[in-house]
Amino acid sequence: MKYNLVTLEIVEELKRICGPKNVFSDEEKMEAYSHDETNAAEYGHMPEVVVTPTTAEEISQIVKLANRELIPITPRGAGSGLSGGAIPIFGGILLSVEKMNKVLDIDYGNMMITTETGIVTNEINNIIKEKGLFYAGYPMSLETCYLGGNIAENAGGGKAVKYGVTGKYIMGMELVTPTGDIVHLGGKLSKDVTGYDLKQLIVGSEGTLGIVTNATIRLTGLPTAKSTLLVLYKTPKDAIDTVPVIMAKGTIPVSMEFMDKLSVQTACEYLNESLPYQQAGAMLLIEVDGTNQEQVELDAEAIGDLCMENGAIEVYVADNYTTQERIWSVRRNIAEAFKVVSPIQSLEDIVVPISAIPDIIPELDRLSEMYDIKIPCYGHAGDGNLHATLVKNPNHTMEHWHEIEAKALRELYQITKKLGGKISGEHGIGVKRKKYMLENMDPVELSLMKGIKKAWDPNYIMNPGKMFDLE
Amino acid sequence: MNIIIPIKQVPETSNVKMDKETGTMIRDGVVSVINPLDLYAIEAGIQLKEQFGGKVTVLTMGPQAATKALKEAIAMGCDEGILVSDRKFAGADTWATSYTLSEAIKHIGEYDLVLAGERATDGDTGQVGPGIAAWLDIPLATYVSKIDEVTSNNITVERLVEEGYQILELPLPALLTVVKEISNPRLPTLRGKKKARVSEVPIMSAADLQLDDARIGLKGSPTKVVKIGYPKVTRGGKIVTAVGEEGTNEAVEGLIKFLESKELI
Repeated sequence: MKYNLVTLEIVEELKRICGPKNVFSDEEKMEAYSHDETNAAEYGHMPEVVVTPTTAEEISQIVKLANRELIPITPRGAGSGLSGGAIPIFGGILLSVEKMNKVLDIDYGNMMITTETGIVTNEINNIIKEKGLFYAGYPMSLETCYLGGNIAENAGGGKAVKYGVTGKYIMGMELVTPTGDIVHLGGKLSKDVTGYDLKQLIVGSEGTLGIVTNATIRLTGLPTAKSTLLVLYKTPKDAIDTVPVIMAKGTIPVSMEFMDKLSVQTACEYLNESLPYQQAGAMLLIEVDGTNQEQVELDAEAIGDLCMENGAIEVYVADNYTTQERIWSVRRNIAEAFKVVSPIQSLEDIVVPISAIPDIIPELDRLSEMYDIKIPCYGHAGDGNLHATLVKNPNHTMEHWHEIEAKALRELYQITKKLGGKISGEHGIGVKRKKYMLENMDPVELSLMKGIKKAWDPNYIMNPGKMFDLE
Repeated sequence: MNIIIPIKQVPETSNVKMDKETGTMIRDGVVSVINPLDLYAIEAGIQLKEQFGGKVTVLTMGPQAATKALKEAIAMGCDEGILVSDRKFAGADTWATSYTLSEAIKHIGEYDLVLAGERATDGDTGQVGPGIAAWLDIPLATYVSKIDEVTSNNITVERLVEEGYQILELPLPALLTVVKEISNPRLPTLRGKKKARVSEVPIMSAADLQLDDARIGLKGSPTKVVKIGYPKVTRGGKIVTAVGEEGTNEAVEGLIKFLESKELI
């Protein structure tokens, strides 16, 4: 695909559209917009210009300009993505929604909030908490990521076992289409079969089908009580084997996070935390929530008992904020800790049917041994979504690493597919997994997706080169 | 070794809001937890018990709801919890509180060691631990960061002081207030939780302790809050700017001198 360069005239026109303050092209400032949380050296790419518009109308004009001049546009949230979705790989215009963070409407009657998409996800809960309401989206990066990015990636995270993923809560949205039209999809409706459900097509479309400028989100009652268990097991298999047992018993936990020893140890050392990981080959972090503390604690205890009956060596209980934060902080910091210890790695998020989780662990061990690399494994065991991470062996050359990374990933994805799983459960395809999606997807399904992209984005300017290539 | 650990329930402070007018904390809807600094005393106590045997008793003065903190401590591994509770204790300052707790400790009976947190994260005075030692007339070591040795009659500890460490040997019974270097608090276990749920927490009232009304609660508190004010923040960062190679060298030298003057390098 051949695109035109962003000329000085185009920069001037962009400044006329959204004001000179909201357009910049100096390298130093643009650097921050050239990568996300994937390895910048490998996937990063500079934009030619960055725009930070403040209204849908401005975005519409920018998109129309991009169509007219054939310039690619890359929409961007907070840049905490893990698949390179927000990286402007063809240069062009980087459009950040960072200045669009206003709450437009809090509708208590319908238990919905409408907000612009540059809002930090965690902020939503801070705003509605006092009214006893709750937004159940809980990406692990909740303190930095934006709602817009959550919608684009259909973010999952640590509470999806009970509450589901972002898409479940998106009721309506305002979208600037790839041709620059402004359209409102969905609404405050619990039921709506009036035509195709386009808003759900947008959820998880990685910014390839338009830019969501505001969204209406369904809220639920705020769970006021919770209890958290940290369960220690001798082996990862013991831990994983318990997951379906717990799921079958009735009380669905909010979270069931798995962490193997390497993950816990690395995070603990990073945080200077002293969890008793030495004796445990793996841990499960299980959280139960509700509105009655006593009941929640009883539910958690019942799950704890079940764990003990199924091979756990110890169950720790955290019933208050201090201890709960201590445990969660370990889980949340694993990825960050590994970046410090060994920055070269491939953070994966394969997803398999829950009952297939025990089968994947020995395969990871096999790959780890075969390629002589570490593969720490942690993630959302309760929904089969595991962050098996390939970490470069410091003794290997970069050349060798690139070679085995591709081989090991290919094998990992084949195993995942064989078990009925898919290559990405929540991080998305972006640029990072594009070739692997191509290899693992039914050609008919892929061709349907390409058909949609062609119909929506005839000039192929909206976040091109993500998910799949057209040619 | 019989160890008594006085603890306090404090508001969980990660999200505390202040009332701008009165200068006090808005306590509505704020969850209470064991004073985080008391957790180090609890852990140190449990470790001593594991090493030398004996019994760890946690003690707190507060309303009925403070039972929760005692049960949490039992779930961590303490043997018994005792609640000192009476309407008459309300409004106590550190003087009256330490007096009341010392009387409760006398009431419990034989003990070898009293372990307290350095201070509570709400009042921030650090006076109650030393106060108890004074009322009990037993030796005291504050800011204890390590217990070196325990014999049948003595305890040797390291105190964290401004210039480094101070090693003290104290005859038992003694009272130590501990800092966080002393231990890494463990999490409560499921077994501990279950034990805590069924454990009875006895309550000691003013009458049980035969305390004189004039020495407890608000009446027994010589501290009067006259005014609450906000401290002025006087600390400020300094940005060193440097232009060109010469400027950079100068700036670096200046920075080295500054760090040297503070004895940091």
